Order: sequence, then structure tokens, then C-alpha cells
Amino acid sequence: MKERPIKRLRLGGLLLLLVLAFLLDLSTGSVHIPLKGIAGALFSRSAANPAWHFIIAGIRLPKACTAILAGCGLSVGGLQMQTLFRNPLADPSILGITAGASLGVAAVMLAGGSVAALYAIGAMGMSGSWLIIGAACIGAGAVMLLVLALARRLQDNVMMLILGIMIGSLTLALISIWQYFSNPEEVKDFLLWTFGSLGGVTGGQLTILAAVVLAGLAIAFLSSKMLDALLLGENYARSMGLSVGTARSVIICSTSLLAGGITAFCGPIGFVGIAVPHIARFLFNTASHRRLIPACCLIGATLLLLCDALAQLPGTQSALPINIITSLVGAPLVVALLLRQTTIHAW
Amino acid sequence: MTCHALRRQILLLSSALLLFACGGSGGQHVAADSPAATAEVRYAKGFTIVDHAGYKEVKIASHAAGSRDTLEYLLLPAGAAVPGGHPGARVIRVPVKSMVVTGSPQIAEAAFAGVAGRIVGVGSGQYVFDSLVREGLRTGRVRQVEAEDDLNNELLISLRPDVVITMTNPDAGGSRYRTLLQAGIPVLPDADWLETTPLGKAEWVKLIGALTGREDIVNPKFDSIAAAYQRLASIGRSAPQRPSVILEMPFKGTWYLPAGGSFMAAFLRDAGADYHWAGTKGEGSLALEFEAVAPEALKADYWLDIGAVDSKKEILARDPRFAAFHAFRTGALFNYNRRVNDAGSNDYWESGVVNPQLVLGDLIRILHPGLLPPDTLVYYKQLK
Repeated sequence: MKERPIKRLRLGGLLLLLVLAFLLDLSTGSVHIPLKGIAGALFSRSAANPAWHFIIAGIRLPKACTAILAGCGLSVGGLQMQTLFRNPLADPSILGITAGASLGVAAVMLAGGSVAALYAIGAMGMSGSWLIIGAACIGAGAVMLLVLALARRLQDNVMMLILGIMIGSLTLALISIWQYFSNPEEVKDFLLWTFGSLGGVTGGQLTILAAVVLAGLAIAFLSSKMLDALLLGENYARSMGLSVGTARSVIICSTSLLAGGITAFCGPIGFVGIAVPHIARFLFNTASHRRLIPACCLIGATLLLLCDALAQLPGTQSALPINIITSLVGAPLVVALLLRQTTIHAW
Repeated sequence: MTCHALRRQILLLSSALLLFACGGSGGQHVAADSPAATAEVRYAKGFTIVDHAGYKEVKIASHAAGSRDTLEYLLLPAGAAVPGGHPGARVIRVPVKSMVVTGSPQIAEAAFAGVAGRIVGVGSGQYVFDSLVREGLRTGRVRQVEAEDDLNNELLISLRPDVVITMTNPDAGGSRYRTLLQAGIPVLPDADWLETTPLGKAEWVKLIGALTGREDIVNPKFDSIAAAYQRLASIGRSAPQRPSVILEMPFKGTWYLPAGGSFMAAFLRDAGADYHWAGTKGEGSLALEFEAVAPEALKADYWLDIGAVDSKKEILARDPRFAAFHAFRTGALFNYNRRVNDAGSNDYWESGVVNPQLVLGDLIRILHPGLLPPDTLVYYKQLK
């Protein structure tokens, strides 16, 4: 019972860290804006400096909000996958859903040979960035439906894991074929997309991303009892009256929404999904998903905000792609955690 | 602009190949050649033509930083004996009666010289604008020799062209063309895209002129274009006002803009534009954050070369934040897609390369209304 207040304290500390990271991210960028200017841009409609107002309200704020949403979603998606597969290496991309989203984007960006299909989508009123997002959602959704359909036929979660990896490999192979038959310019655009970006989500897109991520998080939170039971093994879960098949479907749906939605808007962002659940378990020393899910949200959002602030190259007007930073930060974090404890668990 | 970085990589790679390929044969720099050479080619830095008695000597330079290597070619009339003193030089028999070109500028150069009919193969048929070559592709007189960025060597050899002019870096000694060279087909790199001035880029027509024996037509035609360009540039550079411009558009938070030493920056300088990044170093493009460009983009008078968009609606579909730009609100949006055919090929990338005076005229008419006699734009159009 003594542990409770300490954990509350930690949760409070994380919340404070999140707020600080949010402010740090808002104040870093290639244009120097003093704190006063940031406050002015955030809280008044007509700022004294219109460029600062545009940068804060139009560029940095949507980017920071995207970082929070993506950080929460990827971390919780990773936690769910590590629990479902009882594998510490699992992450939201393990089911091939991220690869599915990439396939959708590849279809749009590298569609040198199948322009007719593009015109058809364009006629439906989709263009520009929405076209890319729509294609990514269709790709992710198609893979999700495939995984769900096959999941019903498989009893074992290890087989499920292998299936996910195989679907991912197949999808990536299809993308490679497309890349092979594309112009260097198109391939480069696609390559830029695979570097991930928090900066391209604005306005209506941010609203939709928020809705998708919140829906995924809500399903995850509501299914935390199922996740707890799955940790004790499938047989034990069955003995507790849990339908493993249903639980699996619910968890796959939630992760697909999170991973598919975030990949559609931001491109693939690695390592957050693997690293954050481990950090959460390390800090809170618990297996209860009711506590791990909020912890993952706080840590994931903070981590991605910090990564975004770090991406800014000091003294230049350029920034590194977010996917590079998350890997550079995430991999040493996991190694550091490994060195502090002798075993690593998915539970 | 996005392909610049890629091309620079190819450039570095191929300069290493050049070191290997040229050996001792072409160890001197083109610029350090005889005065006759500099008189022939005035703006381009990538090649020289020296007129010897009975044959011409062409040297193609690699622009890679610090590289002093050249590729040497002898343009010999058919049947003439190969002159001594040029070890390692490749021989091309002139006048060239049939040729394969891999890039859009080379099609335009051939059309400029009036020899588009001698083209028997093009790289990719997808982006051809020239009507004669398009017709040839339709009837089968012109073949498509590049399959997915790889040369179809068997088809090329069966076409037996007098020369293959590639748009690659001057790395003809590289492994990519070994099969062709072994089959006795000369490969000549046309590195016009490495030039950093519009006239330098256009001057590569002289190479086609020398190859096809059309110098008598090409050289005076180029001289008049150069004179027209210089005349326009002096008007543009001394324009009373210097409207501010931004180019391109950001993709996923990164905005690629031409660096100060680039070809596009030279155009803007000659058009009398105030380009915020004109003083930056480099000949390629700068990868800037959206917010680093935003202060300029918000207040710029003109937004040019916007990209693959054709209307204000399409610009907003890319990113609704663009509505805040001053140029967007005033409608000062000009894109280089007036001459795009039904197949989607853009003549700006083809004939625009050999008509820099028309492109500059467009830019001056856009940026300084009233400075030139009113005329319709050739390559640019206003997006509505």
C-alpha cells in the first residue's frame, strides 16, 4: 500500500515533464521567437508579429499536438502488441499494418503505370495530402481485415506473430517492385515520406487524427482487463471466461486504428512503440494495463515531443526527419534499460 | 528540384569512375585549354570544342569539386584517319545521321538544330513533348531505349545509332555503358543540367550542332538567343522595383529551395527578383524547415514554380496553411505549366532549356508588368 503514493508522484512528475516538453517543443525551431512572442501567438488572435503568429499557431502548435497524439498512440499500440504476443520486441508495426499503409502511399506516389486508378480517386474529390492519407488508410485497413480474417483461423498467438511478420514482408516486397519501376524523383518523394514527419498535419487532418487516436486509446483502455488476463497465458485467460478470439480481434482493431491512422498522417515512426512500454513497466513496476496505458501515453507523448525538439539542428535552418531521431534516442534507451535489469519482459 | 540531391550523389560517384576511366589521357582541366576553345563555348563550363584542321576535339568536364578530369572525343569525318596525339580519346564519326538521346533537353537541342528527325531512340517516351518525336514513337520510327532507368542494351545495339547522348554525369567510361562501348557505339554525356546559368545550359546545343554538322545554323541561332537573353537580363537587373519571390512548396515540413549558386537563382537574379536565399552557397537545393521559410513566404510578392499543382484549389489541397501567404491572397501565383500536352509532358523542361530568353521574358513580364511590351506568357501561367 505504501507504493501507491510513490506511483502517483511519478505519474504527476511525468505530467509535469510532458508540459515542459510541450513548451520546449513550442519554443525550438529555426526561427528564434522569445517566450513573450510564443505566449502572444498562443493567447491572442491578432499578434504583433504576424510571422511569429503563423509559425507558432500554424506550424509549431499543430506539430506539437501531432507529436502528443502519435506518441500516445504508438506507445499504447506497442504495449498492446507486446502483451498480445507476450514478446518484448513487438511493436505496432508487427502486424504489417504500417507496411500496409506504406503500400497505400506507394500506390499513390509511385503510380507511374496506373494513373487511371489515381484519376478515379481524384474524381471522388480527394487530392493532395488527403489522397496520400486516404491511400494509407485503405492500405492499413486492407491489411487489418486480412489479419483479422486469418486470426480467426489461428489458435496460437505465436503463429499470429509469424503471420503478421509474413504479411509485412509481402507488403514490403510489393512496395519494392513499385519502387523498382518508378522514376528516381518519385522514389525520392516516397523515401522522404518513409522518414516520417510530424509537420504535415494541420487543420481538419489534425481533428481526424485526434478522433482516430482517441478511439484507439479508448478501445485499448476498455480492453485493459482482457490484456491483463492475456498476460497470464491464453489458457488461464480462457479459464477466466475470456474469449481469446474476441480479445484478439478487439486488440488488433485498436492497434490497427492507432498504427494505421498515425502512419497515414505522419509516415512510419519507429522505436517509440518498442521503447515506451518498457520504460513504463520499468518506472511503475506493474503489469496492470489500467496503469500502464496512461503511463505509456505520458511517456510516449513526452518522448516524441523531446525527439521533435532534438530534431532541430542547432544553428541551421534544417531539421532531421523524426524517424531518425526516434531510432537514435529509442535504441540507447532500450539498451540502458536492459543493462539495469537482468531480464526483459513483455509483462 | 528534388532530384538535385540525387544527381549530386551520382556526380560524386561518377567522378570517382572518371579518375579510373580517364587515366593519364585527359588530365588537364577544360578551362585551362587554348584560347580558341574558350572563344567557341562562352557560357557553358562543362564542355569545350576545339577546331583542328579536319577534325574537332570535344572535351567534357566533370564538375565534381576538385575534379580536373575530362572525357575527350574526336569528331572525325567518315573515313578520315584517326589523328595521333590523342591517347584515350573516343572517336565519333560525323555528321551523325542517327542518334539516341536519353533526356528531354537533348530532344530540344536536336529540334533546335533541326535534326529531331535523326533521333531513333529516346530514354523514356513518357515525357516527350516534341511532336515529331512523339509521332515517331507512335509509328515505331523512334524507340524507347530506357526500361525503368536501365538501358535496353540489346535494343540499342540493334538500332546501331551513330551516337548515344545520355543525360547522365560525364561517366561514359563507367560500367553502365561498357556493353555499348564494346559494341562500338560511342556514348556521349550531355551534362547540361550541371550548368549553373541558363545560357550555359542552353549552349550545349553547340555540341549537337558539331555532332550533326549543323554549326552553321546552330551557332548564329544560339548567338542571337544569347544576345536576346543579355538584353532582357540588363532590363531585368536594372528594374526599378525588386519584388520578393518564393519558389516550390514544402513537403511534410521540409521546403526545398534552390541555393544561391543554382541555375534557378541565376534566372531570378537576371529577372530582377528579390530572392531571400540568393546569397546562400551551393549549386543544388537547400533543405529548409517550413518555419524557416514561412516569414518570407508570408510576405513574398510572388510565388513561382509552385510544383505539380494547377489551381489555387489544388494548392490548398496540399496544405490549407498556404492560404495565409500574401501571394496566394493577391493571386500572384505563377507556375511553369502552360505548355503541358495531354500526356502530361511539360515543354518547360524540353524547349524551355534551349530558349532561356523566353523563360526570362516570362519571368520579367510576371515580376515587372509594363517593363516589356505586353505579350502572352510562353511557359508560365497564372494559377486561379
